[in-house]
Amino acid sequence: MGELPYDYVDNPFEAVQVTFEKAVQDLATDGRFDPARFYRKDWGVVDLFRHFVFDNGGFSKIPILELSNLHRIKPNTLVRYRGMIQDMFGNELYIGAFKDGDTWRTNKFMERPMFEMTPSSDEKTQLWERSLVYCVPVPGQNSWTLEYSTPPYGEKRGRDDEVDTMDFDDSLFKKQRVDEVQIQNQSLDSVGDPHFQSSTDMVDGFDKNHFSCLVKVYDTPENNLNLNDVIEFIGIYTFDPEPAEDDDVDPNYPTFEFMEDVTDHISPTKVPRLHCLIHRKLSVHDFLLGRHIAAAPTPNLIRDVRESLFTYLLTVLGNDGLAAQCVLLHILSRVRSRDHSISVGRLSLNLSGFTRENGSKFGNKLSESLKNILPFSLYIPLTVEYLNTDHLQPKKNNVTGRLVSGALQLAQGTHLVIDETTLCSGTLYDIGLANVRLLKHLMECQMVAYNFEYYNLEMPGEVQFLILSEGKSNILPADLVVPFQPNAITSSTNVTPELLESWRWYLAEMKSIPHSIEPDLQKTLEDDMVAAKKVNVNLRCEDLSRLLTMAQLMSASFGETNLSLERWQMVKEIELLRKKRIGGI
Amino acid sequence: MASNSSPFGSNGIPSSPDDSSPIRTRPSTHGRRDRRRQPGTPVSTPLRNQPSSDGGDFSTPRRRGRSSSVVPPTPQMPGTPMSTDDLPPSSDGGDEDPKDVDQMFVWGTNIRVDDTKTAIVRFLKNFSDNPSQMEGKYMVPIHHILELDGGGGSGSGSLDIDAQDVFAYDQDLYNKMVRYPLEVLAIFDIVLIDMVETLNRLFEKHIPTRIFNLKSSVSMRNLNPSDIEKMISVKGMVIRCSSIIPEIKEAVFQCLICGYYSEPITVARGHIAEPNCCPRGECKAVNSMTLIHNRCRFADKQIVKLQETPDEIPEGGTPHTVSIVMHDKLVDCGKPGDRVEITGVYRAMSVRIGPTQRTVKSLFKTYIDCLHMKKTDKSRMNREDPMDCDTTDVADGEGDSAADFNEKVEKLKELAKQPDIYDRLTKSLAPNIWELDDVKRGLLCQLFGGNALKLPSGANFRGDINILLVGDPGTSKSQLLQYMHKLSPRGIYTSGRGSSAVGLTAYVAKDPETGETVLESGALVLSDKGICCIDEFDKMSDNARSMLHEVMEQQTVSIAKAGIIASLNARTSVLACANPSGSRYNPRLSVIENIHLPPTLLSRFDLIYLILDKADEQTDRRLAKHIVALHFENPESSVHDVLDLQTLVAYISYARKHIHPRLSDEAAESLTRGYVEMRRRGNFPGSSKKVITATPRQIESLLRLSEALARIRFSELVEEVDVKEAFRLLEVAMQQSATDHATGTIDMDLITTGVSASERLRRENVLTATRNLILDKMQHGGPTKHLSELLEDLKKQITIEVHLSDFRYAVQSLVTEGIAILNGDKVKRT
Repeated sequence: MGELPYDYVDNPFEAVQVTFEKAVQDLATDGRFDPARFYRKDWGVVDLFRHFVFDNGGFSKIPILELSNLHRIKPNTLVRYRGMIQDMFGNELYIGAFKDGDTWRTNKFMERPMFEMTPSSDEKTQLWERSLVYCVPVPGQNSWTLEYSTPPYGEKRGRDDEVDTMDFDDSLFKKQRVDEVQIQNQSLDSVGDPHFQSSTDMVDGFDKNHFSCLVKVYDTPENNLNLNDVIEFIGIYTFDPEPAEDDDVDPNYPTFEFMEDVTDHISPTKVPRLHCLIHRKLSVHDFLLGRHIAAAPTPNLIRDVRESLFTYLLTVLGNDGLAAQCVLLHILSRVRSRDHSISVGRLSLNLSGFTRENGSKFGNKLSESLKNILPFSLYIPLTVEYLNTDHLQPKKNNVTGRLVSGALQLAQGTHLVIDETTLCSGTLYDIGLANVRLLKHLMECQMVAYNFEYYNLEMPGEVQFLILSEGKSNILPADLVVPFQPNAITSSTNVTPELLESWRWYLAEMKSIPHSIEPDLQKTLEDDMVAAKKVNVNLRCEDLSRLLTMAQLMSASFGETNLSLERWQMVKEIELLRKKRIGGI
Repeated sequence: MASNSSPFGSNGIPSSPDDSSPIRTRPSTHGRRDRRRQPGTPVSTPLRNQPSSDGGDFSTPRRRGRSSSVVPPTPQMPGTPMSTDDLPPSSDGGDEDPKDVDQMFVWGTNIRVDDTKTAIVRFLKNFSDNPSQMEGKYMVPIHHILELDGGGGSGSGSLDIDAQDVFAYDQDLYNKMVRYPLEVLAIFDIVLIDMVETLNRLFEKHIPTRIFNLKSSVSMRNLNPSDIEKMISVKGMVIRCSSIIPEIKEAVFQCLICGYYSEPITVARGHIAEPNCCPRGECKAVNSMTLIHNRCRFADKQIVKLQETPDEIPEGGTPHTVSIVMHDKLVDCGKPGDRVEITGVYRAMSVRIGPTQRTVKSLFKTYIDCLHMKKTDKSRMNREDPMDCDTTDVADGEGDSAADFNEKVEKLKELAKQPDIYDRLTKSLAPNIWELDDVKRGLLCQLFGGNALKLPSGANFRGDINILLVGDPGTSKSQLLQYMHKLSPRGIYTSGRGSSAVGLTAYVAKDPETGETVLESGALVLSDKGICCIDEFDKMSDNARSMLHEVMEQQTVSIAKAGIIASLNARTSVLACANPSGSRYNPRLSVIENIHLPPTLLSRFDLIYLILDKADEQTDRRLAKHIVALHFENPESSVHDVLDLQTLVAYISYARKHIHPRLSDEAAESLTRGYVEMRRRGNFPGSSKKVITATPRQIESLLRLSEALARIRFSELVEEVDVKEAFRLLEVAMQQSATDHATGTIDMDLITTGVSASERLRRENVLTATRNLILDKMQHGGPTKHLSELLEDLKKQITIEVHLSDFRYAVQSLVTEGIAILNGDKVKRT
C-alpha cells in the first residue's frame, strides 16, 4: 500500500500538520485566516485516519498499547488501546492553533508543541479544549478477550496451532505462550489459583502496576463517552516526561496547591498519554474472534450451540438440569429497559444448597467455566472481613481529585459470582452494612451510588449476579432461587476452542436479539397470571415479572425473537420444578 | 484584616496607592495627587493591572498581549501617569475609528472610558427600584460604608451590585460589564473613588464592587474557551478550601548597608521589581537590599474547589470541578459542603514546562476569579416559600427577566384552565407507579397544601396536609415517597429506622474546638415549609415519634438540651409510610393493631391510605397487563400526556406562592352539611350503638383538602366541587383505614383509640358473660379451674365467638374488679 500519502502509523503528526496547513491555505482569504473556524471542528484529518484504519486495512497495522509491548512502541506513533473509562477529568484548555511566523500551526493531538512557542501575543494563539478520560483495563476482563490483542506484528500465531482439546480444570491459561502469560499476570493472576484475588488488585491497584492510560479526546459531545464505558481508542501515543519535581509532591500533602490539575499527579512515566483520533464503544461482539458463524445462522445451528452449551453447563453443574437451565437463562439476561427505578430484564440467580466443600468444587468450576465464555466476570468470596474492610463503593477523593474505584465500579454486562458459602457469622460494622446495601441495590435496581463525599450519585450499572449460598441468601435476595442438587460428580470435560468460540458468539448474539409478543399470546399470558394469582394470593408482582423475563430469555436462548406459548410453558415447567424443590427442602 | 479588598486578579486591581493598609508607612504618592489635579481625566492608574497568579508572568495570551504591547499614550494626554498602567487609553489599538482621538477606549475593547464612567455614575446615583425613594438604591450602602468606615476603622465595606438592576437600568452597561469585566470593574473603582472623595474627603479606602445575580448562569461543564475573561456565574458545591495564602501586594526593602527603606514597591504582574542597588543617592550600594517582611503589605487569598451539584450532571458523567480564587473578604466565605453561586471572571493561565523555564506548554489551567459568592442554601431558607427551587426559577421572578416570567406564568395559567387539569396532574405524579390514583390525588393535595391561618388570638391552623401510607411490602410506597421527595426541593427523606430523635428534630452539638454549643437542625426543621418524607415510620423509636406529635399539630420543634431551650419552626407536611407489623396487612385487625402506632399520632394524619395487594380479579388483570406491557412495550410510549417534572414543579410552586383560595359561601355550606351528614351516619336508628364517623379534626382536614384542590385549579375561591372532592378523598382514605370490618361502617374510634365501637361492644359482652359464668359456676375460695375449661363453658352459653385471648382479657378485667384471681392459667374465685 505504498500509495498512502502519509505514514499514518509511524508519523501521524505529519498527516495532522500537513492537512492542517493545507486546510488553512484553502480557507484563507487574502492570506488571512481565522483559526477559530476550526474550534471544535475537524479539518478532515480524522476522516483521513478513519479511512486509513477502516477502509485501507490499517487497523491491523496499528500496534496495541499495553504494558507488554510498551517498550516496542515509539512515542508519537499511532496506537490502539482498549479500556474502561474509570474517571473523567473534565476539560483541558490548550493552545489549539498558533502562528509561527506567518504560518498557522496546530497543537491538536499533541502533548507538547512541535514548534517552540514563546509566550507571545494572543492574536496569534487560539485556545481550544479537549476532554480527559482516565482508562483502566476492564475489571474482570477474561483472558480470552485479551488473546485477540496479541501484537499484530512479530510472529503471528495461527489460531489453528492451538491445542485442540483442553483440560478444563486447568483452564486455558497454561497452554499459552510465554509472552501472553505476561499479559495475564498483570491483568488476571488467577492461574492455578481458583480464588479470585485479582479483583481487588485490579480495581484498587491500578496505579501500582496496572496499565492505565490517560486519553485526551477531541471534539466529542459530552454524552458520547460515559463512565464505565468500554472503549477502543485509536490515537497518538505521546511520551513527555515531566521534570521529576512532580513526583516529589505527595498528593495527600495538605498544602496541595489547588490550582493544580489532577493530571499533574499522574506521572506520564507511569501512565501513558493517548491523543485520541478515533474512538468507538465496544460490545461483546468486538471481543469475539473474527471468525463469526454465518451471518444469518439457521435456527438449527443455534439450537445445536444451545444444546452443546447446555450439556456443558450440565456437566459443570453435576447433572442438575434445572440449575443448568437457570444458569443458561441467567447468563443471557441483560437490562432491557429501565423505567425510573425499575429495571426490566435482569435475572439474578441464587443457587442455594452449596456447602463449603461442594461450594469450592462446583462453585469454582462454574465460575471458571463462566470465565471462558463471558467477557468480563468476577468472583467475590464474601466474608465478614471482606465486607467490613473493603470499600466496594467507588468514592471520589476530593484531595487528589480522582475517583477511587471500588470493587463495584464495573463495566456494563459484567458477571459477578458472589460466593456466600465463605461467609461466617460475625459483626458487620457500618462499612460492612453500607457494602451489603450497595450490593443489594446494585442487584435489585442495577444502580450503584458513587460517593462524591457531599452527595451520592447513582450510576447505572448492568451486572449479572450469581449467588452461591448454603440456604437461600437473605443478604442478596436474588430474583430466582434454585436449590442446587447435583447428582454426579463429573470429571473434567473436554472442550474444544471451536466450541468455546461458538458459545461466546452465541451468548453475545442471543443476548442482544430483540423480542416481541403476539397480542393473542399476550392475552393468554395475562389470563395465566390472573389464574396463578387466584391460586396463590401471595404471588407478588415481582414473581410474575420474573416469569415473563424468563420466558423471554428462554425464547432468546433458541434464537427466537417472538415469544411463543411453548417457551412460556417451558418456563412454567421450570418454575414448577423449582417450587417443588424449594418445597422439598 | 487587609483592608484593600480587591476582589480580583491576584495582584488586585487597585494597585493604586490610595488604598491604605495598617502597615503602611507613607501616605499616598503621585497617583492620587494626579487625579486630584485633573479630575475628569481618564486616569488609568487604578485600572486593573496584569492579572497574575503565582505563576508569575504567565497569564492568558490575551492579557499578555495587552501588556506587552503597550501603546504609547497619545500626545493629547501627556499627563497620564503610565507607571503601573497597562491599559493605556489607546486610540489606534481599539476596534473603532482610530481618528476619534477624543474618545478613549480601553485597549482591545469597545469601551469608552468616559462613557462608561458616566453610565456608572448615572446608574449608581439614579437607580432605584422603589420610586418613593429619592436617593438611588446604591447610594444608601455607599453612605453606609462611609459612615461605618469614615473614622478610618479597619472594616472594609464592599458594594454589592445586583446585575439585574444594572440590566434593568442600562443594558449596554450590563453587556459591557459581562463582556469586559476587568475593564468595567476598574472603571467602577475609579467612579467609586471619585464619588467617595466628593462625599468624604478623608475617606481613603477603596470600596470594591461585587457584582452578583447575573442574568444567566453557566453550567460548569459548559465553560469553554469563549468564556475566558468574561463575567460568568456558576453554581456548585464547595468541596475543598485551601488554607489562607498571604499574597504580597507591596514590598518594602531595606538597605543592609545604610538602613534606608525603599518606597513600597507594588507587585506588578506577579513580580516585584527588586532594586539591585540602594536608591539613596549617598549610598548606592549594590545588591544590598533585603526584603523587610513586616513592612510589606499582604492580602489574603484562598483557593476553593467547586464541584457540580448532582442535578447538573448528565447520566454517565462525573461531576466537573473548577478552581475558584477568593480574595480578602471572600476568604473563608464558603465551607466545604456549601452550595454556592459564584459570580466571577473566568481566567486561564499557561503552564510552564518547568519552574525555571520560559517555554510554555500548550496547556492552560483555568480558574475563576471570584467577585461574589452567594450561598444558595441560605437564600432558599430566606425565601417566602421554599417550594420554588433553584432548578425551576419559573415561578421566581428574580431568576428571570420580567417578560420571560410573565410568559411562563401565562403558560401555567393556560394549563390551569384545562378542564382535566386535576386528572392530568394526577397522572403526571409518579407516572411510573401503577394505579393508586386516589393516593396520588391525596399526595397532589399535599403538594399544593391548604392555607395556613393565624388568628389574632395566636391560634394557629396549619395548612399542611399530613399523609400516612400503610401497606403491604412491595406496593411501591417507598417509590412514591422518593418521588415526592424529588418533587419538593425542601423535601427531606429519612428512614424511621435510621434516624434517632435528634436526627429527625434538632440536635445540640458541641463544637470540638471552641466548645460552643450549636443547634443542628434535623430533618423536620430542615424541611420547614416543605415535605418531610419518613420511610419505615413504624420502625421509628418512640422518642422520635413523640416529637412528631408537636410537629404535626403545632408545627414547631421544641428542644431543651444542654441549656438551650429553643422552639424551632417546622411547618412541614409529613408524608410517612409504614409496613404492617406482620409481613402482610391483616384486614381483620384495625390499622393501629396492624402497624402498632399510637392512636394519638395516627389521628394527626389527614389522610391514611391503605395500599393493599388485594386479591381481586380486575386488579389482577390490570396488573398482569401492566407487567406484560412493561416487558414488551417501550416504556416511553406507554406514558403519554403527562407534564414533565419541571412544569409540574413550576406549577406547584406558582400555585403555592400566588394562589390563596378562600371558602365560598356555597362551599362552606356544603362543608357543614357534609360534616353533619358524616356524623349522622354513625347513629343507627333504633340502636344505642354510637359510632363516631367524623371528628372535628376531619373538618379541618376537609378544609385543607378543599383549599388545596382549589389551588390545583388556580382558583381563588373554594367551590362546592372542591369540597365534594375533598369529601370523596377523605372517605376513600377513611374507608380503607377506618372501616370497622365487623360492621362495614367508618368508625373514627378505630383511628383515635384503635378499638372500634363494635369491638368494644363485643368485649363488653364477653366480659359480662364471663362475669356471670364465674359468679355462677365457681364458689368463693373454691377449687381452681383452668382457663380453657372455663372457655369451653362460656362457649356453650353465648353465641358470639370468643378467642382465648379475648377471654383472658375479660378475666383480667375481673381480677381488677376483685372477683377472681388469675394464677398462670388457673382461675380462682375470691
